[in-house]
Amino acid sequence: MNTTKKRNPIAIVFLAILGIFGGLQIFSQPLEGKPATQKIEAPREVINILENSCFNCHSNQPNLSWYDKIAPLSWVVNKDVKRAREVLNFSEWDKLSPAEHKGKMYAILNMMQSGKMPLHEYTILHPSAKITPKEVETIRKYTLSLSDTGNNSKNKNTDHEINAALPKVPVSPNGIQYTDDFKNWKVISMSTLFDQSIRVIYGNDIAVKAVETENFHPWPDGSIVVKSVWKQQTLPDGEIRAGEFINAQFMVKDSGKYKDTEGWGFAKFSGNDLHPTGKSASFAKESCIACHRQLAEKTGYLFDVPMKVNTQQLIQNLQKNEK
Amino acid sequence: MKNSLLILLTSLISLVSCNKENTTDKGLARLIFNSGNLKFISTSLNPKKETMSALYGNEKAMESLSEEGHTPKAGAIMKLVTWRYHDNPQYIGGTITGELVSIETVQTDGKGKVSYQIQNTTSQKSAFNKEERISYFMSYHPVMRP
Repeated sequence: MNTTKKRNPIAIVFLAILGIFGGLQIFSQPLEGKPATQKIEAPREVINILENSCFNCHSNQPNLSWYDKIAPLSWVVNKDVKRAREVLNFSEWDKLSPAEHKGKMYAILNMMQSGKMPLHEYTILHPSAKITPKEVETIRKYTLSLSDTGNNSKNKNTDHEINAALPKVPVSPNGIQYTDDFKNWKVISMSTLFDQSIRVIYGNDIAVKAVETENFHPWPDGSIVVKSVWKQQTLPDGEIRAGEFINAQFMVKDSGKYKDTEGWGFAKFSGNDLHPTGKSASFAKESCIACHRQLAEKTGYLFDVPMKVNTQQLIQNLQKNEK
Repeated sequence: MKNSLLILLTSLISLVSCNKENTTDKGLARLIFNSGNLKFISTSLNPKKETMSALYGNEKAMESLSEEGHTPKAGAIMKLVTWRYHDNPQYIGGTITGELVSIETVQTDGKGKVSYQIQNTTSQKSAFNKEERISYFMSYHPVMRP
């Protein structure tokens, strides 16, 4: 008698769980399959790695396991896949320019090298997707081998040039206005990138203080960092100077306003007409923040924070000289 | 009792190790150059020396470099700040400035006399030719931008 009494509640709980579980499936909508337009063109060994470790989330041909399709796991998977496709979709590779292909490959290399991709949560359930150091090396070699496609600004900017009626003061779709103020700010660092550009990074007083006191987690609201980017121009003796202006990139810290992008508002103003990048206010959520979030977490999501390599002694000496 | 002692001991150890980290940290910092009233004018990159420089100056310096002159105008002040660069620790495919190498100053007084001064931050003093450095400064043009 006693044993049956004890079993009953367990059976009821089991049935209830099964019922709830079954019910959940009604709300589990399958991912909509979009047609793949054109696949990435790359050496077979590179494609193999991408197909094996990335395509499940970053393409229109998800080859998901049966358990990925069962709620509640399917909710998490669907959300991740949707977000993944927004940032990078190999099935829509042909929509990008050669310069963008190169940029994406560098982003992929950096994500793999730092162990941020494939996501840890994903490889726990899909161990075969794990990337080996040898595979990272294959991706690295291929990425570094990509010829310089130059800054074919015509190709790159076709999206934006449709917006012919530009306001006098350029405004990014998320509301960030271009301003010349940064030309009076301090230069916090200088950098270059694989795209043969030379960059000077300015910070307003709040940002400068944040760097000096390493107040990165989080950066104080009101911090603004502006990166001015030029093409490299090589002199006969091999020295490089800043040539044609490419763009000015703004990062504005406002934790209340830019909740989806770790509190940073992004804006990019390109060319001599300073046309803003992005079609909607959420453009940075689909592009910029993905890399900044994964790779620059240590410095509060900024890449070009000055390195911690100068001695306090030197800094004190410099300050003495200023007085 | 034993447990609380153990907790106390581990927290003490972790505190001490934290302190150690901080003291080794104290020697180094993130330096932002204070150019005072001088504004950024131009930049250069020297792949052989692995250095990047920023040229700062006042209004007169800006005017001098906008024209194709060979000597800076009276009242011009220019500072060329040179940094060693490194691969960006957070992004493969990028470089970023690191250690400060030198600060060079070219200044023209009211009478048009040009002076040159160099402040090295490393112990090794490199030989320089004053005239050569001044004409090097004059080879810069203000960066192009809208």
